[in-house]
Amino acid sequence: MITKPMVHVIDDDESLRTALLRLLNGSGFEATGYRSTGDFLLRHPPDRHGCVLLDIRMPGGPSGLELNAVLKEQGIHLPVVFMTGHADVASSVAAMKGGAVDYLEKPIAPQALLDAIGRALARDAAARGARQERAELKTAFASLSQRERQVFDLIVEGKLNKQIAAALGVAERTVKAQRASVLAKLGVSSVAELGRLAERLRSLGDGRQ
Amino acid sequence: MRWKCLCVASLLAALLPAGMARAESPRQVLVLYENNRLLPANVEGDRGLNRVIAGFGSPVEVSAEFLDYPRFGGEDYVRTISTYLREKYHEHPPAVVVAGGNGALAFLLRNRQELFPGAPLVHMGVDKPFIDGLKLPGDAYGVPVRYDPAGTVAQALRWHPRATRLVVITGAAPPDRAWVPLLQQELEPFKGRVDGIDFWSGLTTHEVMERLAALGADTVIFTPGYFMDGAGKTFTPREAAALIAGAATAPVYGPYNTFIGTGVVGGRVPTFEAMGETAGRIVNHLLEGRAVATLGLPLAMPTTLSVDWRQIKRWGIKESDVPGDALVQFRSPGLWDQYRYQALSVLAVVMLQSMLVAILLIERRRRRMAELSVDKHRFELAHASRLAVAGELTASIAHEINQPLGAILSNVAAASLILESGAMQPEELRQILEDIRRDDVRASDVIRQLRKLFEKHEVERTAVDLNEAAVEMAIVLRAEAKRRRVELVVREASGDVGVIGDRIQIQQVLINLVLNAMDAVAEQREGQRIVTVAVTKADDTAAVEVSDTGHGIREEDRAKLFDSFFSTKAAGIGLGLSIVRTLVESHGGRVWAENRAGGGAVFRVELPAAQGIRRLEVA
Repeated sequence: MITKPMVHVIDDDESLRTALLRLLNGSGFEATGYRSTGDFLLRHPPDRHGCVLLDIRMPGGPSGLELNAVLKEQGIHLPVVFMTGHADVASSVAAMKGGAVDYLEKPIAPQALLDAIGRALARDAAARGARQERAELKTAFASLSQRERQVFDLIVEGKLNKQIAAALGVAERTVKAQRASVLAKLGVSSVAELGRLAERLRSLGDGRQ
Repeated sequence: MRWKCLCVASLLAALLPAGMARAESPRQVLVLYENNRLLPANVEGDRGLNRVIAGFGSPVEVSAEFLDYPRFGGEDYVRTISTYLREKYHEHPPAVVVAGGNGALAFLLRNRQELFPGAPLVHMGVDKPFIDGLKLPGDAYGVPVRYDPAGTVAQALRWHPRATRLVVITGAAPPDRAWVPLLQQELEPFKGRVDGIDFWSGLTTHEVMERLAALGADTVIFTPGYFMDGAGKTFTPREAAALIAGAATAPVYGPYNTFIGTGVVGGRVPTFEAMGETAGRIVNHLLEGRAVATLGLPLAMPTTLSVDWRQIKRWGIKESDVPGDALVQFRSPGLWDQYRYQALSVLAVVMLQSMLVAILLIERRRRRMAELSVDKHRFELAHASRLAVAGELTASIAHEINQPLGAILSNVAAASLILESGAMQPEELRQILEDIRRDDVRASDVIRQLRKLFEKHEVERTAVDLNEAAVEMAIVLRAEAKRRRVELVVREASGDVGVIGDRIQIQQVLINLVLNAMDAVAEQREGQRIVTVAVTKADDTAAVEVSDTGHGIREEDRAKLFDSFFSTKAAGIGLGLSIVRTLVESHGGRVWAENRAGGGAVFRVELPAAQGIRRLEVA
């Protein structure tokens, strides 16, 4: 069963919160409401695919912008869509700097809200995908032996089997076997793919440091 | 002593005018009157004579003697009085002798050479017919009197056009009887004008009185008075005239001016004073040794119409019928004549007061207009200030309205989704509709609340509960407080805290104070921004305290705090607190600010508590 994306609605206005939850639940999300940012943090939201819909002005507890920082600290990666009763330049700039993916002015048209939620979820999905890939890549790379890593580096440098054998002081046949093992462990089928993988690893900051 | 007396005497001699010192004895003038001393004619004539002679350059002594005719008379009397006069004036012979009246002139003409040889003779008050019958010596001077019975009667008949009868009353003494032929002759022309002329001559006073009482109003009476009546009783003519006028039921006229005041209407008369003055001028001339002819004397004393104003009124004679040159006596002046200046003063004072009152009324009206205008301006300003507050609250107002609107939109969308999905969830839909209704009410409540506060309204004076006002203020500012992350605390007093005033303006006071307090705490950390509104009540005052946890009031700002256009804020125009004070004072209250011991400021508004209303409600 595919779990629904989770939308966390934080607004102290119960009437609006209820209405938003109604709309989001009806639109295929699993929406949960919180009276304040403090309330939200205390409930320890799971790191699940979803997003946060937050009124930028909340009495009591951390403000919407502060919440963003706290969530990051806790390793919860959820994009935040801000809502505001009255958009002004100062608060919108601050919201965007704080990492808001979207900024909605009340009263929020339902379609605009759903679009914004959709964009936020897509972004979350992308981020989650990237994190997933990186984690898998790291795991695969970690499974390489010392010798296999040396072979991987030399392949990425573009050395031929004979050159690698000479550099490592082993037989060319041994290098061939190790090369096949590296490709298998990293789940690639060609040297070209391996090159791209190496690029990705470098951009993620490979685990060698 | 002797030395001193001598000194005074010589001093006096030195001071006296040379002329006076030379005239060792004053010149003597003797006036001999025919009748007695108290005869009004003599008194008046004597006054005129003495006044003129007193104006003579050097001292003149005027002696007066009275023959007391006709009470006394006869050869023996004349002889005795002559002896008396001769003996009396032997030492100081008069330089001039004056005869007053016909009898006196006759006496002097007969005895002057013997009694006062060489003294020139001046006569006064002597009848012209009498003079005409005499042969006067060359050193006798005077202007005879021509009484004017005809002129008097003519005037009387003009004033009494309906009179048909003329009664003439004379007495029994010789001078009285002398009048009869004279009057018969004079009044002859009026026989055609009146039906009859009756001469009552020598009647007893009693009979005269009786006859007078029987007279009708169609009569005019003329009398020269009399010295003696038919019963031998003596009078002065004036007394007789007074008796006649007192008893008459018809107007009485006479030939003498001395009759004026006795009840006689008047007549064409010579005045005895004028006679005396004329005689005086002649005497002065003689004393100076100048020719009398140079005086240019008239042939007879002029007569003037002399009347008693009271009688004019009594007999209904029109004022316009009295000739302008008439000598009017006893004119009882009207209030206007009598108190003209007082009346004018009073009138002026009244007018001044009226003007003052009018000016004061106008001023009062102008002041009231100005007050109304001030009220209007205050009202306009208060309204403008509320609108300014509305501008300031825009963000929170928008939020207050957008929340329910957003909820409604979301609810509608959710309902649509439910309907599209085809799932039958009537309970859910019902709940959604209920929520939509509630949010709609909420939005319109906000709008109504704001409209109430910001629209123009007639200023009212009603009982306002400060607790309620504070709570309503909190409703209006709730969103703003939230927006600014300020904790707004309202502490109501227990029970009603009634004041008399305008609900909106009182709310405005609270709103301005709270907004001011919110500004004051803006720089504090979140959680430290607290504004407390506390309603309290003492015996006769209701109070609201707005305290904040801000930076307090700087000492140098305290005095100017409530002034217009004074602001410590960068964006403030400085009207909020000024309007607070204006409105509070227009409610008979006061407002002031202090710093709190624990930091921050407290603004305290005191208004007179509405005791009467409370009691009324309790009763």
